[in-house]
Amino acid sequence: MVERGAGVNADPRAAVTVTDLHKSFNALEVLKGVSLMAREGDVVSILGSSGSGKSTMLRCINLLETPDQGTIRVGEETLRFAKDCKGRVAAPDRRQVERLRRGAAMVFQSFNLWSHMTILENVVAAPVHVLKRPRAECVAEAEALLAKVGIANRRHHYPAHLSGGQQQRAAIARALAMQPKVLLFDEPTSSLDPELVGEVLRVMRSLANEGRTMLVVTHEMAFARDVSSQVLFLHQGKIDEQGPPDEVFGCPKSDRLRQFLAAAR
Amino acid sequence: MFDLIGFGRDGWGPALLWAAATTLFLSVAGFVTGAALGAIAAFARLSGDRLARRIAFAYGVLFRGVPDLLTIYLLYFGGSVALTMVGHWVGAHGFVGLPRFATGMVALGIISGAYQAEVYRGAFLAIHRGEIEAARAYGMSGATMLRQVVVPQVLRYAIPGLGNVWQLVLKDSALVSIIGLVELMREAQVGAGSTREPFIFFCSAGALYLLIAATTGALFRRVERHTRRGFRTA
Amino acid sequence: MDIAFLANTLAQLLRGAPLTLELAATSVGLGFVFALTLALALQSAPATIGWPIRAYVATFRGTPLLVQIFLIYYGLGQFRPTLQALDLWGFFRQPYWCAILALTLNTAAYGAEIIRGGLQSVPHGQIEAARACGMPPWTVYRLVILPIALRQALPSYGNEIILMIKGTSLTSIVTLLEITGVAQQIISQTYRAVEVFACAGAIYLSMNYVVARALVAIEHHLSPHLRVPDIEAAVAIEGGLH
Repeated sequence: MVERGAGVNADPRAAVTVTDLHKSFNALEVLKGVSLMAREGDVVSILGSSGSGKSTMLRCINLLETPDQGTIRVGEETLRFAKDCKGRVAAPDRRQVERLRRGAAMVFQSFNLWSHMTILENVVAAPVHVLKRPRAECVAEAEALLAKVGIANRRHHYPAHLSGGQQQRAAIARALAMQPKVLLFDEPTSSLDPELVGEVLRVMRSLANEGRTMLVVTHEMAFARDVSSQVLFLHQGKIDEQGPPDEVFGCPKSDRLRQFLAAAR
Repeated sequence: MFDLIGFGRDGWGPALLWAAATTLFLSVAGFVTGAALGAIAAFARLSGDRLARRIAFAYGVLFRGVPDLLTIYLLYFGGSVALTMVGHWVGAHGFVGLPRFATGMVALGIISGAYQAEVYRGAFLAIHRGEIEAARAYGMSGATMLRQVVVPQVLRYAIPGLGNVWQLVLKDSALVSIIGLVELMREAQVGAGSTREPFIFFCSAGALYLLIAATTGALFRRVERHTRRGFRTA
Repeated sequence: MDIAFLANTLAQLLRGAPLTLELAATSVGLGFVFALTLALALQSAPATIGWPIRAYVATFRGTPLLVQIFLIYYGLGQFRPTLQALDLWGFFRQPYWCAILALTLNTAAYGAEIIRGGLQSVPHGQIEAARACGMPPWTVYRLVILPIALRQALPSYGNEIILMIKGTSLTSIVTLLEITGVAQQIISQTYRAVEVFACAGAIYLSMNYVVARALVAIEHHLSPHLRVPDIEAAVAIEGGLH
């Protein structure tokens, strides 16, 4: 396991803090009070079986889902959610949400590249139109990022003309272009053919080595064990176990986690 | 104002309703005629005979590409001219007009047939080849296969498209008013001219068209649901 | 085969062609803007705006164009004093403007449905990805939703353009001398319906053909993302080299 956190920036100030998150969809309570804290440079793997709430938790962090209760802090932006006396949750301020989202870039399970734009345009769109940076600068940086993830020669092609692995790497470059404080990965390799999974994990490993703050919802146990600084195991909306990977994988305390790890092997 | 379209002594209500019935009758007749023509044209389009295919294709392009009003003019005035000439040979005098309802029915039939041919053709092409192969493998004759396998499937796939064509026929029936047939549009015109209150009459006509369209549309959707029972949707 | 008559008829009919094209182009253009507004309003507006828009769309799609033309030309003519007071009578008195209004309202209703279908077909994941970057709502529409939706709507909208060209023929009934109006005149004078029909039909068919081909070209130009450009890309899709 590679040392993490004490790398480039030893500042223990947290990059992402989530406190007591609750979320229900109609009658179904999916998150029953989850909390996490990630320092800069941390790589947090979030594990759990389907229905455990792990994707919902990630999507609450960048407000693609609105929590019913709890606090979310990314960088400088803090949002609090609470039910008023009538049991309703106030909608968050739109501009604050947009600011928070600029600091947390997401990589989706189904890539979600914009199909009518070339790869280069995909990577450049958000910096130019959201961060309002000069176009020439963004293009230069985009080309560097695409070279870094290994698809520079595909930058003028359209997403439909790339393989799944290439598309996901392009999506990672798109996320990096926002210069985010934290990278959110929502099951990034679950939609890929097995032989394409490796190329994406390689890119994610190198990002971890650079000291990026990453929150990764994944089923890739080897990746979680080797690359993370922290592992969370969710079960039915609660954090069942939490800790460094050696502990969680080596000596699982709960039966559920033991069963989960056994089934995943 | 509503007395005008009501059922009182001076009310045009009954007249409008009768005219609406004529519209419905005309549309049905035109649609059925079109079904026959469309089926023949679709058959020709799918057949092995190159000439038949070309003629059917030209029929479709022509009557979908040319405004329906022109088609109605052609049929009525062209046909009436021919009939007048025939009439003169047998000693009649003056202008002999074609029967208006029949002409309207044929015109709507020719127009909707062009669209229905596309629907039937598309529906036929949507049938799984495998089912036809299986029919052959079990020794079904051409006619039996047609009756047991092809036609039921074509109807199932065709219903949505036919629903659209029906709405088109219903609206086109208003154009037949041009040749003087007293259906809903013409009756509304007559009423408007007679009472100098065009607004209420054309609004009423519109409302009646909407009513017929909504009712028949719901019927089509019902039939569609019925034919899709037992099949999983995409 | 009376070539002279055919040629003469063709020449006369072609004098009506500019009006046909003008009516079609104006109504489609205005109708598109109106349709886009309505479709966007339906997407994002509260329920209070929703149902009048839906009622309008249902009415203009469910009633014959002829009824709509008569309602505006004759029906509104009944309110002449009111319109004169509002200084609008000059507009509503002329068959040309009544025709434009009726055609525009008609095509906007169909167009709103087509655009609405296009908007709904935009893959939700791509909209989420745009929002997740912190894009404000209007930017999401401008960069992602509208470009994809309008490309999706193009084939159906092209069909609507052809239907509108045919629809202009109904304006002959309110005295406008576009192609069908001229044809009507010639038929009632010469009674040679078949030849006049053939000429007028040929003109309409040519117009529709040009529009259809232009549409194919535009579609082709706007969707490089749906075509496979070269061998390299084809191999990449197979999951091979990078």
